[in-house]
Amino acid sequence: MAETKVVLPGDIIDTSLDSDEEESSVLRLGPGVAQIDEQVSAVAAGVLHSDNEKKQWWVVSNKRRYVPAEGEPVVGVVVARHGEGYRVDIGSAQGALLPLLAFEGATKRNKPNLAVGTVVYARVAVANSVMDPEIECYNSHTGKSEGYGELAGGFMFKCSLGLARRLIDSKAPVLNALGSGIPFEVAVGLNGRVWINTEAPATTVLIANAIKNSEFLDAKQCRQMVKELLEKQ
Amino acid sequence: MVVEIEPSNIEREFLLEALEKGIRVDGRGIYDYRTLKITCSPTYGLVEVQLGQTRVLARVTCEVTRPFPDRPTEGLVQFNADLSNLAAPGLDSSSGKPSVQEVAVSRMIERVIRQSRAIDTEALCILAGEKVWSVRLDLHFLDHSGNLIDAASIASIAALRHFRRPDVTIDGEEAIIHDVNERNPVPLSIHHTPICVTFGFFGSNGDLMLVDPNLLEEQVQVSSFTITLNSHREICALSKAGGVPLAPSLIQRCTQIALTKVDDINDKIQEALMA
Amino acid sequence: MSRQELISPEGLRVDGRRANELRRISCRASVLNSADGSAYYEQGNTKVLVAVYGPREPRNRSLAQQDHATINVEFNIAPFSTSERRKRSKGDKRLLEISSFVKQTFEGAIQTAIYPRSQIDIYIHLLQHDGGTLETCINAATLALVDAGISMMDYVCACTAGFIDETPILDLNFVEESSIEVPNLTVAIMPRNGNIALLQMESKLHSSKLEDVMELAVEGCKHIHRKLDQAVLVAAKDLADKLSN
Repeated sequence: MAETKVVLPGDIIDTSLDSDEEESSVLRLGPGVAQIDEQVSAVAAGVLHSDNEKKQWWVVSNKRRYVPAEGEPVVGVVVARHGEGYRVDIGSAQGALLPLLAFEGATKRNKPNLAVGTVVYARVAVANSVMDPEIECYNSHTGKSEGYGELAGGFMFKCSLGLARRLIDSKAPVLNALGSGIPFEVAVGLNGRVWINTEAPATTVLIANAIKNSEFLDAKQCRQMVKELLEKQ
Repeated sequence: MVVEIEPSNIEREFLLEALEKGIRVDGRGIYDYRTLKITCSPTYGLVEVQLGQTRVLARVTCEVTRPFPDRPTEGLVQFNADLSNLAAPGLDSSSGKPSVQEVAVSRMIERVIRQSRAIDTEALCILAGEKVWSVRLDLHFLDHSGNLIDAASIASIAALRHFRRPDVTIDGEEAIIHDVNERNPVPLSIHHTPICVTFGFFGSNGDLMLVDPNLLEEQVQVSSFTITLNSHREICALSKAGGVPLAPSLIQRCTQIALTKVDDINDKIQEALMA
Repeated sequence: MSRQELISPEGLRVDGRRANELRRISCRASVLNSADGSAYYEQGNTKVLVAVYGPREPRNRSLAQQDHATINVEFNIAPFSTSERRKRSKGDKRLLEISSFVKQTFEGAIQTAIYPRSQIDIYIHLLQHDGGTLETCINAATLALVDAGISMMDYVCACTAGFIDETPILDLNFVEESSIEVPNLTVAIMPRNGNIALLQMESKLHSSKLEDVMELAVEGCKHIHRKLDQAVLVAAKDLADKLSN
């Protein structure tokens, strides 16, 4: 990425490509970008990202309300149990449905039994504007859990969606810095919920606070903050 | 109706597990208050209090009215608390009926300030039976992150102390109210400054105790207790309603802890008013 | 305003009681026909009538809790209860506050977990007002709940106490209560283990005096407990007699 370009709602985005123009080419507009009267303009404030090769544009903004998108990992809380599945709160406008059979090795006879209030790590399976979202705790192609499922023990806290998106990157500076100092388990949901687990509650609290504080810090500051926290411990 | 989502099981369990070891989820000590920030605006009587993430705005205004016939020499003090959906999604202000929390907070503040006679109402008299000042305290809750009562009491006291009313001179039967530009406005006469300190109790018998619960702690707690003290070590109000019954010895212990907290808070208010 | 003499030089209060004396208490359970449980309770000149309905299906389905019963308290002051006739609106914050205190107190006392998806209604009517509203409401509601046969951990007994001229005084009446100089402490305990279910105080009291005043109030609560026990026994005996016939 050459430079960060901040766009405001209503800004017209120049979608003309440097390379030879092809009339038939299709532009792909992601979140925060829409076509309004022959022109492409931003509809959300944030940083404009583009991929010239694939002719894609999208705007990254730091929202707090989650809008489910297929394939994204989320951390949800079971709020009710129905005949065919669980109703799970994932922070979106509607509660998500988690079918009883959407677990590794689940059969009609052998289904997991989750109490109301249980925290689950799941993947969004269905997300569109007309149906309630649906999530699953396994990979429906392989039938394996791949890390999804009930989260037992540990602690869960909320953060902004932007921070969650940065944390899920394996190069996230704050997680790497913490990981080099203390062992811990983490599950990041793109719905702005992070679950962590360590051996001692004190460490869990420390990690939770470090992650929350890292929201507005760059990589160097993150490492510095983590270093100070670990020394204090 | 918006339903407040209860904390998940692991949040509950972790909070209790950590508390048994003397650790709180936000890294504070058991008896630590959250960071308290008091901002006085240039306008008299407008104060914002930030207690951690909880934010309360207090505004004091006054006007001249006729006193009640049975109390001709006493001014009026009115309270209003506005706890709307602005502060938290779980609060519901649309139904028109005041919510349980709103009643609890506004009545608590009213009791703390009115019943303990923190404001000298006789000093608000201009002409007996004719004209008195009516002081109005409006509380607006901007962000709810636990412990609204303490934040509201600090904001109320700070705003009342920050407030200045126009000066008045009496000329026979005529009262002249001076413009604030003409003559320096005068502060309210305040007898003492009651401050609330809230405790949260956890565990099946309520034997785990902490000061200044945040939102998650408030949702998990089994009982809570608010004690209001002034700087003369006088108790101005006590409030414990519902929840798990507590042993009487805990009440005494809370009083001792609250005494030190109130001193700290009074110093902070003083500091903010001097700035 | 001239300050009224609340304690005479002989140590008697405005209504002739001694400092540590309760007002006369008389109470009766099962006074209403249609209610599942009811009680009439008098403490001095303060008189309340309580009706308990439930556990029954919640009026409003959305209020039903899956794992415990919801408790609903409505408190009403009769317009003729005070010397000056006055009708109060339903939204009066003072009324709402008292009903929410009663509700919170009994949420801790009733074993709500054994009545899931149901509602228990407590309707309190103050017929005559002479101070100590909250204490009489709680005592009367306890009796009515016992009468309704609702499972409770223990009785909840409430009593007020104050502090005049360096003496702790028990069970304030309206004159003492409305004097702004008298601190007004209401305490509700579970008599079996002495734990405090409710504690409210208004007006100023030095922190070193709290212990004495509370002790006196707790003594009052224990006395009230015996009175309530007697009323329950009378009602139970009455029933036993009828059954044996």
